[in-house]
Amino acid sequence: MATTVLSIVPGRSVWYRLRAFFNANLINLFAGGLFAVLAIFLLYPIVSVLVFSLWGDDGFTLSFYAEFFSYHFYYWSLLNTLILGFATMTILVIIGFCFAYLTTRGPLWLRKPLKIIALMPLAAPPYIFSISLITLFGKNGLINNFFNLDFNIYSWTGVIAAQVLAFLPLSFMMIENVLNAVNPSLEESASDMGASEFRIMRSITIPLAAPGMLKAALLVFVMTIAEFGNPAILGGRTPFLAPDTYLMITGEADFNMASVLSVVLILPCIIIFILHNFVLSGKGYTTIVGKPTAAEPRPIDPAIKIPFLILCIPAAIMVLMSFGVIVMGAFVKIVGVDNTFVIDHMLNTQSNGAIWNSFKVSMGAGLFGALVGTLLAYVIMRGKFPGRRVMEMLALSGFALPGTVIGVGYIIAFNRPPFLLTGTIWIIILNCVFRFLAVGVEAGISKLHQISVEIEEASADLGADFLTIFFKVILPIMFSAFVAGFIYTFMTTMMSLSSVIFLVAPGFDLASVYIFLTAQLGELGVASATTIKVIAIVVLCMGLLQLISKKMGLNVKKQGV
Amino acid sequence: MDNTRPAMLALRDIHKSFGSVDVLKGISAEIPKGELLTFVGPSGCGKTTLLRIIGGFAAATSGRVILDGEDISNLPPNMRNTKMVFQSYALFPHMTVAKNVGFGLKIQKWSRKKIDARVEELLALVHLEGLGDRSIERLSGGQQQRVALARALALEPKVLLLDEPLSNLDANLRVVMRDEIRNIQERIQITTIFVTHDQYEAMSISDRLLVLHKGVIQQIGSPVDIYERPANEFIAGFVGYVNFLEGEVESIHPEGNTVCVMTEFGRLDLDCDQQAMAVGERVLLVIRPETVSLSPWSGGESQNMFHGEVESQMYAGNLAKYTIKFGQKKMVIDHYNPMGSTKYSKNEKVKVTIPRKIHMLRRQTSGTADNRGQAHEPKTEHAAAR
Repeated sequence: MATTVLSIVPGRSVWYRLRAFFNANLINLFAGGLFAVLAIFLLYPIVSVLVFSLWGDDGFTLSFYAEFFSYHFYYWSLLNTLILGFATMTILVIIGFCFAYLTTRGPLWLRKPLKIIALMPLAAPPYIFSISLITLFGKNGLINNFFNLDFNIYSWTGVIAAQVLAFLPLSFMMIENVLNAVNPSLEESASDMGASEFRIMRSITIPLAAPGMLKAALLVFVMTIAEFGNPAILGGRTPFLAPDTYLMITGEADFNMASVLSVVLILPCIIIFILHNFVLSGKGYTTIVGKPTAAEPRPIDPAIKIPFLILCIPAAIMVLMSFGVIVMGAFVKIVGVDNTFVIDHMLNTQSNGAIWNSFKVSMGAGLFGALVGTLLAYVIMRGKFPGRRVMEMLALSGFALPGTVIGVGYIIAFNRPPFLLTGTIWIIILNCVFRFLAVGVEAGISKLHQISVEIEEASADLGADFLTIFFKVILPIMFSAFVAGFIYTFMTTMMSLSSVIFLVAPGFDLASVYIFLTAQLGELGVASATTIKVIAIVVLCMGLLQLISKKMGLNVKKQGV
Repeated sequence: MDNTRPAMLALRDIHKSFGSVDVLKGISAEIPKGELLTFVGPSGCGKTTLLRIIGGFAAATSGRVILDGEDISNLPPNMRNTKMVFQSYALFPHMTVAKNVGFGLKIQKWSRKKIDARVEELLALVHLEGLGDRSIERLSGGQQQRVALARALALEPKVLLLDEPLSNLDANLRVVMRDEIRNIQERIQITTIFVTHDQYEAMSISDRLLVLHKGVIQQIGSPVDIYERPANEFIAGFVGYVNFLEGEVESIHPEGNTVCVMTEFGRLDLDCDQQAMAVGERVLLVIRPETVSLSPWSGGESQNMFHGEVESQMYAGNLAKYTIKFGQKKMVIDHYNPMGSTKYSKNEKVKVTIPRKIHMLRRQTSGTADNRGQAHEPKTEHAAAR
C-alpha cells in the first residue's frame, strides 16, 4: 500500500507525498508501535519466566524441573492447587446453577435479592473472604466462640469456602447468561408434551445450558488456581502454587524455582485457554427466535425449589455475613473480643497512605490502559496488516495468565537494563496496564462492531485525512469504550494483589498489599477498614460503569481480578 | 357454520389482565370438533394470550376453558390434551428430528419400538421421510416447521394450537406450508386453532375466523361472512380495502327488498341484505373496490351511476387501480383483468357504477369515530392485490 501511494502522486511536493504516505500508513505505524509495546511488556516478561526456569548458572538445564518433581513439597503444591481448583469448580458449578436457575426461573420476589447477593462479591477483592472467615471462624471467631466450636479455618475447608464465595459471581453470571438464552418456549414446549418440571430440567434446560456451564467451570478453575490471597492467608501449612511462588521470591530469592512454579501454574491455564477457545468456541445452540411472548413464568416445582434453596441460602447468608463482619471489624476494636466502637482503624494513617498510593497507581494504570486498549481495539479492527489475530491474542493473554506469573516475569525482566524499573511506581502501573488490557480492548472492539466502517470511509471521502478522522470521528465515537476501559482498569488495579505484591518497593504500600499483610498478621481491624475503603471505591466505579454502559450502549463484561 | 356438532373446545367468558391492562375482555366461543378456527387481529389484540390460556401457559384472570366437556382451566400444560406449535417452533436443538418428534411419546413411556413406528408415521405425514436422524440445525425453515407440527401431533391432541406458525417463513414457503397445514388438518380431522395477524392467511386457511380487536371478539364467522357481511367498520377495514360511504335511508320498498339510500354522492337503490331498516336511519355502505365498475364518460344519469374524474391510476397487470375523485370525495376502484379493456388516464372523466348488492352497516351513535381511521387504511398488500 505504502509504495503505491508514494508512486502514484508524481510531480507533487515532498511534503504532499509524505502526508499521503502517513495518511495511508498511520494505522500500520500505530500497529508497529503497539506490537513493540506488547512485546516488551507482555511477551518479554513471560518469555523471561520460561527462560529462567530452564537457564541456570551453567546455561540450559532441566535440573529445576527435576527438583520440582523430586521434592514432595513442590509437587504437592501442584496437586493441592489442582485439587483446590477441582473442588471449587465443582461446588461453584452446582451452586452457580442453583442461583442462576432461581434468578431466571424462580419465584419473582426472590429473583432480584438473590441476584444481588450472588453478585455482591464482585465489589470486593477475592481475599476479603479470608478476612471475613477468620473473623467468623478463627480462633476467637464470632461463630466459633458463640457455638463453642473448635473449628480450624486455616485449612482446606477454609480455603475452599473463601474461593467459593469469591468466585460465586463468575460462575453465577456465566450460567445465568446461558439460562437466560434458553428460549422459554423450549421449556414450555416440553411441558406441553407432558414433561414434568424435573424432566424439563433434566432433558431440556441442563443439556442446553451445558456448554455455558462447562465454560463457567473452566473459567472458575483457572481463576481459583491462579488466586493468590486466599490460599496464602488461609492455607496454613498446605502448599499451593501461587503463594509458594511468592515465598520463593521473598523468602529464598530463588528466581529459577519461582519461574518453574510459574510455568507449572501456566500449563493448566494454557490447556484450558485452548479448550475454551478452540474446543468450545461455536458450541452452544442457536434457536430461531420468535416474538418474545409476554410470558408469565412457569410456576416452579417445590421439589426443585426447596433443594435449590437449601443449597443457595447458606451461601447467600455467608456472603452477607462476610460483608457484615468486614463492616463490623472496621468499626470495633477487636470483633468478638472487645466490641467497643472505635474509629482508629478507619483513621489509621498507614492504611490511608496505602489507599492513596493505590489510587495514584490505579489512576495511572487506568488512563494508560484505556489509551492503549482503545488504540489496540482500533488497530485490530480496522487495520489490514497480517498478525492482527496474534496481536489480539497477545493483548488478551495478560488477562488469561495468573497474576503471580506476570509478577514474577516483571521482576525478572525489569530488574536490569535495558528496562530497569524495579522499585519504581512505573513497574506497578505498567504491570496493571498490561494485565488488565483485555477489557479495554474488548470494550473498544465491541464499540467498533457497532460502527460501520463506512463512517470512516465517508469522512475520508469528504476529504478528512487519517489524523482528522482519528481525532474527530473515531475517538469521540470510541470515547465510551475509553471511559469504560479506564474505570475497569482503575477498579481492578485497586483490588489487584497477586501480581503487584512482587513489585512493591519496601515502604510503598498498596491497599491490597497492606490488607494482605495485616490480615496475615491478624490485624483484622485495620485490614477490614482498608477493605471497606477499597469496596467503597470499587462500588463507586461499578456505578459509573453501569451508568456509562447504559448511556452509551456498551456491553462491558466484568471479569476476574 | 355447522353448529350441530358438539363443541370440542369451549371458552367461557375469559378475561385476562396484566396489571391494570385488560388484554382480554370476556371471550366466549365454541369450536366444534374438526374445525380450523383462526384467531386473527392486529398485533396486541390478545390473540396469542388467548391461545396461551388455552394451552395452559398463562392463567386467565377469570373464565373457563372447557375441553371436550372437561374443565381444564386449572390444569398445567403438561396435563392438558392440547398441543402447541410455537412461533419459534421451540424445537430442542440438542436432539435429532426423531427425538424431537418422539419426545412426548417417551414421556408417556411408550416402548422404543412403538415410538419409532409412530415417529416414522408422523414424519411421513409431514413429508419428512428419512430425515429422522438429522440434527435440527441442519433443517430448513420449512422443514423445522414440519417437525414442530409432527411433534405436536404425536400425542394425538384433542386440540392443536398453532401460534403464528408461518411468520418465520419467506413468502412463497408460507403459502406452501399454509396449504400443507390445512391439508393435514383436514386429513386427520383435528380441531385446530390457528393464530395469525395476516388476514389473508386467515381467510384462506380457516373454516371460521374469530376476529379480535382490543380484547373483544369483533366477529366470528366464515371467510365469506367476514368479507361480505362484516359486522362493523373495523372488520370491514381489516379484511381488504374498503370505501365507506355514509348515507341515510330515504325509503324502503319491501316488495323488491330494496332500500333507497341518500348518500354524499346522490341517491342509491340497493338490495337490502339484512334485517329491517327504518326510514331515516343512518347507514354506512361498505363498498369493496372490485365491486364498482368503470366505464367511459357519457352524458346523462342512470341508476347508481355517478360521474367522476381519475385522480391517479396504477397498473399492476392483473388489475388496474384507480382513485376517482367526485368533488371532495374519493373512491378507490379496482378494475380486474384490465387486459384488452379500456384504460383510463389521469384527469380523464369516467362513469362509475355502484352495484345494487352492497353491505350496509347501521350507524352506531358513538364509538365509531376511532374505528373509522383504521378502517380506511389498506391493511395489507394482499388485500389490495387480490
